[in-house]
Amino acid sequence: MSFSLNEIEATAKRATRGAGYAWGISEEAAKATRWLCAQGLDGTVELSRVLEGEFAGSLEDHVPAGLDGDWVGRKDLCPLMVGALLSDCAHMLLAGPIRIRQVSSPMMILPFAAYAARMHNTVVSVTAGDFKALTDGARLMPRNDCPVRADHVEVAFSDLLIEPCSRQTRATPDPAAWTILNRFAHLTYAPATEESRLLGAGAGLSDND
Amino acid sequence: MNTVNPTIERRDPATVMRLSRLGSLHQCRLSFMRQLTRRMAAEQWVFSRPVFDIDDNGVGHAVYSAQGPDRTYSLVAFAHDLPPEQRSDRVIAEAWDATFTLFDGVPTKDDIQRLSRNVPLQEAGRVSENELSLSRANRSVRLWAHVVDQLAAGQQPDLAQIYKVGYLMRTTAVYGSGKFGAADREKIADRPEVSGPFQAEMLSVYLTRIFVRDLVQHMANAKGGTQTAQLDPDIARWLGIGNSTGLGMAPFIVNHPILFNNWIMVREEAIARVRSLDAATDAQVAMFREIFERSKLSISWWRSEHPIQIEKLAALNADLGAIAAHLDQTDLTENQPWDRLILWSRTALSEEGQELLASLILEPYGELVDGLASCMADGNSAAFTIDGAMPVAQVRDLIRSSFGWALDLDWSAPEHCARAWYVSEEKLEPRLGERFEEPIEEYEQPLAPARDSALADKALADWLGESPIAEFLLRHPEHRHTVRRAQMSRLAPYGEISDNTISAEVLPIDMLRAKLSFFGATHFDPRSDRWVRICMYSGAPYPEELSPENADLWVYPERAQ
Repeated sequence: MSFSLNEIEATAKRATRGAGYAWGISEEAAKATRWLCAQGLDGTVELSRVLEGEFAGSLEDHVPAGLDGDWVGRKDLCPLMVGALLSDCAHMLLAGPIRIRQVSSPMMILPFAAYAARMHNTVVSVTAGDFKALTDGARLMPRNDCPVRADHVEVAFSDLLIEPCSRQTRATPDPAAWTILNRFAHLTYAPATEESRLLGAGAGLSDND
Repeated sequence: MNTVNPTIERRDPATVMRLSRLGSLHQCRLSFMRQLTRRMAAEQWVFSRPVFDIDDNGVGHAVYSAQGPDRTYSLVAFAHDLPPEQRSDRVIAEAWDATFTLFDGVPTKDDIQRLSRNVPLQEAGRVSENELSLSRANRSVRLWAHVVDQLAAGQQPDLAQIYKVGYLMRTTAVYGSGKFGAADREKIADRPEVSGPFQAEMLSVYLTRIFVRDLVQHMANAKGGTQTAQLDPDIARWLGIGNSTGLGMAPFIVNHPILFNNWIMVREEAIARVRSLDAATDAQVAMFREIFERSKLSISWWRSEHPIQIEKLAALNADLGAIAAHLDQTDLTENQPWDRLILWSRTALSEEGQELLASLILEPYGELVDGLASCMADGNSAAFTIDGAMPVAQVRDLIRSSFGWALDLDWSAPEHCARAWYVSEEKLEPRLGERFEEPIEEYEQPLAPARDSALADKALADWLGESPIAEFLLRHPEHRHTVRRAQMSRLAPYGEISDNTISAEVLPIDMLRAKLSFFGATHFDPRSDRWVRICMYSGAPYPEELSPENADLWVYPERAQ
């Protein structure tokens, strides 16, 4: 089924929150998923894989221990946290590439690399083994398939040019991934009670008048 | 004499952004409905009704097209036969008197077929990238029956009843921006005629009003046959479209701080520009005095059964008397007359009266004010990105400037956090619950920026002022949304409500009114502390009478000749 990108973003935000991430990260995961879909990549598949990785319960193991040198954690890095950090630290790319080790679902980092590109009005490259992608913020030029996990990811400013390509305005998520996201999203909804129906939505005077 | 470099500053966000004041805002020249009618008249839009296929029971569909200079938009309306027991304004309703979508272009028969299987279902159906909005409306039962019966009997309806109710149908939701499969905002964001906030939605409501007028005549014809009267255009003009808005809209202004800032800041800029004028011409003063008289007439038709609004209306009516007396003895032609008026209002009037006056002084100054409308959309998606290099101390300064008042509040005290915003499983709609009485806290939505700012500030206190905020956020992702908002406040000084949105005393209707006033709504009628009815387009010219002369001030009624 065809969805608007707004629907993709709204569901991704709720799903990420439902999986236990903070609201701020959920907002970013949602925009990242939307961005991937706009590039014609199924962001919902990537996000569902990340959320099923269950990093949120022990996030401190899945974030870089520090910002000096390569970014490495105690266990595989969560791409949502690494992506947000990359976007926050885009200025560090001025000093040279950022190297990130043991990253789960590195495709999820691409939208954050795009933020960095946009902020600095340049092209950013993301390399993971055979996979290499260039982005100027608005568009993405990927080469080869992105691995589901990478031992080494390198993010750097690039002087290569991006070829014009059109962005997608709709998304057709993989049904299985979409089901997973909706399952996580459902965890953010408070079960209805008769009391909340009356109190919470603010019924007042009759409306049949 | 006119200046666009105001010497008077915009009002302080700490004053403007209090909930009680936001809940007292009135429409003005910048309102979204007036932006649309001005444009449609100036560009000489052409309107047509290619389809009106509705039976004697009022069941069928119709298409209304509005053709601007570059594109055509069409309202596809479905009329239904709704049993009275199913008529509910609540968002949890599942059937309505009429359902609508705004189609991008002119729909084919196949489009209408597809839409007929989906639009009547509303949330349970799907629309496509060709549709820009999805909405529904219910009849005002009493006024509908009155108008049909009178016309069928060869009589005109009673104007007093029309003034009192204001509309034959009220919409209970108007969804846009990619909801239920509709086109994303991006599809239309670069089109001049609909790039302003909510212009597509306002167009759909304008066309809905024409449909409702035609439908009531059609039903009267079916009932009265040859003796049926044609609704007098001078009466039809006072039929607006009602709207019933619930809690679902309240979080919008918290969730879109840049957009909401742009609305408020543009109005504040307009007020500052007019206050900065050294003098006013006799014609400008005469226009202001006339508009004030006409606004009094509109306010005299404003009714509410809600105790809070009854009290506010009493204060507003007293304000109208005070303004009239003050105007009688005030020369408005010199010595920064509008600034003097606004300064006087600060101590002489309630917030309702102060905000009414602030809106009214803009009326004689279209050339100074109307161009600001182009700054009301949110085109700054880059503001979402956090600047991780910003030092912790600077983030704390930003938090303090928006929420200084909140930092020392005891946020664990029940009166300060009695409420929690959550989304219900049942309808996926925002609700406001009692934190200490219902099991909702774990589902809380991030709609308490004041509380969250106080929590973030406390956590930041343990960090070195010169540390980059990125390091803090790596360890404390739970404060990420708050840091983002704090950084946005640099661009959006009016982006934060300067009040506690989870206190025991919070009135969601204040948040609803703030938003609806920018639509251009009038006659706010709260039905509870979290649900409000309004009137839209009452007094507006229909397409056949729309002209640059009447496209703007229709919101102020002229006393019947």
